Amino acid sequence: MDKVLVKGNYAIAQAALNAGLECYFGYPITPQTEIGEYLSDEMYKRGLGYVCAESELAAINMVLGAASTGAKAMTTSSSCAVSLMQEALSYACSDEVPIVLVNVMRAGPGLGYIYPAQGDYNQAVKGGGNGDYKLIVLAPSTVQECIDYTYKAFYLAHKYRNPTMLLADGLLGQMMEPAVFGEYPYPEIDNSSWALTGAKGRDGRAIFSVATAEDTQNQHIYNLFAKFKTIEENETEWEEFNTEDADILLVAFGSMTRNIKAAMTELRKQGLKVGILRPVTLSPFPSKRIHELAAKVDNVIVVEMNMGQMVNDVKLAVEGQAKVDLVHRPVGQWLSVEEITQAVKNVLEKSYASV
Amino acid sequence: MQVFKIPESIKKGSKFTFCPGCDHGIIVRILAELIDELELKEKTICATSIGCSVFLYDFLNIDCIESPHGRAMAEATGVKRARPDKFVFTYQGDGDFASIGLAESMHGALRGEKITGICINNTTYGMTGGQMGPTTLLGQKTTTSPMGRFTGTYGYPIKVAEQIALCDGTAFSARVAVDTVAHINQAKKILKKAFEIQLKGLGYSFVEFLATCPTNWKMTPDEAHERVRNEMMNVYPLGVYKDITVEDK
Amino acid sequence: MEQNFIIAGFGGQGILFAGRVLANAFMLMGKNVTWYPCYGAEMRGGTVNCEIVISDDEVSSVHKENADCIIVLNHLSFDRFLPKVKSGGLILSNSTLVDVTKSRSDIQYISIPMTDIANKSGYNKLANMVALGILTEIIPGLNEEILKQALGKVLTDDRKHLIYPNLEVIKLGMNCIAPVH
Repeated sequence: MDKVLVKGNYAIAQAALNAGLECYFGYPITPQTEIGEYLSDEMYKRGLGYVCAESELAAINMVLGAASTGAKAMTTSSSCAVSLMQEALSYACSDEVPIVLVNVMRAGPGLGYIYPAQGDYNQAVKGGGNGDYKLIVLAPSTVQECIDYTYKAFYLAHKYRNPTMLLADGLLGQMMEPAVFGEYPYPEIDNSSWALTGAKGRDGRAIFSVATAEDTQNQHIYNLFAKFKTIEENETEWEEFNTEDADILLVAFGSMTRNIKAAMTELRKQGLKVGILRPVTLSPFPSKRIHELAAKVDNVIVVEMNMGQMVNDVKLAVEGQAKVDLVHRPVGQWLSVEEITQAVKNVLEKSYASV
Repeated sequence: MQVFKIPESIKKGSKFTFCPGCDHGIIVRILAELIDELELKEKTICATSIGCSVFLYDFLNIDCIESPHGRAMAEATGVKRARPDKFVFTYQGDGDFASIGLAESMHGALRGEKITGICINNTTYGMTGGQMGPTTLLGQKTTTSPMGRFTGTYGYPIKVAEQIALCDGTAFSARVAVDTVAHINQAKKILKKAFEIQLKGLGYSFVEFLATCPTNWKMTPDEAHERVRNEMMNVYPLGVYKDITVEDK
Repeated sequence: MEQNFIIAGFGGQGILFAGRVLANAFMLMGKNVTWYPCYGAEMRGGTVNCEIVISDDEVSSVHKENADCIIVLNHLSFDRFLPKVKSGGLILSNSTLVDVTKSRSDIQYISIPMTDIANKSGYNKLANMVALGILTEIIPGLNEEILKQALGKVLTDDRKHLIYPNLEVIKLGMNCIAPVH
């Protein structure tokens, strides 16, 4: 199949169509608006469901409604507007409805700024809404991965009946890069046992999140977390580079992965044994593998475009086996390869000085 | 001879948990009868809401999705756009429909979603114990308007059926009551019309039910129905506010 | 080895379009390439730019502090981007609209009246294509055939007939300087 030069936002939109998207509901916000623009035309041509929703609140709840019928449904948004969606995500998790949400992050807090940032990590992986729940969160680092992980988001959402988020950022949304649209590679999931289709030849069924008794509520949450455990065992995904002989482990996700790879190459040239672990699924997080690697390295350095969010999960995984440092900047003019290279050397100097 | 039986669309063995004298029970029964009469059970998906209406799925033997507070119209829109061949209605209180969910309710009507909206107006937040809602009448005492609702602080009640009738996507909007047998029969006829308009795909159809809340009004069921007649109907007159099938003729 | 380019000018000069054609051309030349635009609020006020990074390996950062080659189609962009040319790099200016002052001695200047050339051809808005034509003399491996294919990839089906006018102006650009690579 031919490579095409395509923008991340369009890649996500076309990949969703290839994955069998049946309904899209959205509200404009930079830097992801192209997704809704592209789909407004494509969905109409295909006779599929499309609504320019009156708000992000409405959009995510339309997705919840559509997905409750078993349809593949999606909304896309950015940071401050994703905050508006947290209630529905909590419902969808409790309801076990397979919705797909794309967050093309901008910088926060508040309205923030439209340049790329990774400040929504905690909101995405810790559950930004109320109660005990977890999303599945996938973080692409290239336009090709925007396609591949959009496919996977639909598959995992429906396989596990759990809301799934593609966590991209303004850089991935706006940039163009050659990519290949392969066919949707996953099997279709049978949803006939739970989807709302009208009570034909059976009793009515309800999708709801409320329990009327303490016991049933407890059991419901235990069941949800047993499912999350299964997801963790089956679906945790990460990438590793040069970890075999590494003394120093760099950890970054999403678009920052690109920069730490180049920094690793540079630092290796300078004689430092640097390796990389890049979580692909931020939830479930590859804690086990980070724990294993931490036993073999002296330093773990987390690089992220925020004030330090993933670093806390890395520390929990390392469990004190290695020194954990953070190299970061909160907004936009993301860390250049040179800055990362220098920052890593600074960290190491301090680290050695303290030995 | 059997003169009275439980509709097929009511769950077998289920018991309504509404307070004595609450009109929800009558309205749910009307709904169930119509679902039976129009043979809709096998194609119906209902978006329930938050409030006293939340447990509708415990009583009706149809497919239901519980919507977050105020979002029933959004859920119903999602359902209908995904499955246009289904019969979709929302069942909401006035707080859900006209306060927290007003944006969704209005925009759904403006889009002309082929959905039926049902709003139960009892002039208070019943589930949480009788606070002031968007439809609370002027002068009405509630736990959050203890001196009575006065406009200087609390503003004015919303006339839902009239507002929805103003939306160009609305095909049908009416207000009914269930305080007397005559009104119950009329309400059923009007709700049937609203359902038929959806089935014909003519646009959004809406019915507002004036209803009692004896517990929070601190009244007997009879007194509560008296209040519906003597106070509510003055502010919220019964009637059909829009019907494009009539205007077209 | 990564190389990066910035194209900048007024809104309406086809800056993003020219950038996409160039990025597609690099893709056809077998390079790894990224294209990154200014977007959102940065686009208000009339100036626009995009950045292209090419590499034989995976492209790392798609946005860098400085660029190897910066193409400016208006004076505002010349002022803004002159300091961002890497030492030893090149600034290619549209001298019809840019008053070129050679305040830096560590870079190379090429100044061509792109808007005049486009105007004379009758295609008033295609100064951007003059610039692409000039780039064939600067970037090894970039040629008319590749730009033609790249135009075919960027123009949608209903605009495919515009390949030939664009190509005509690209040819004018190709003929206005001697090869510099």
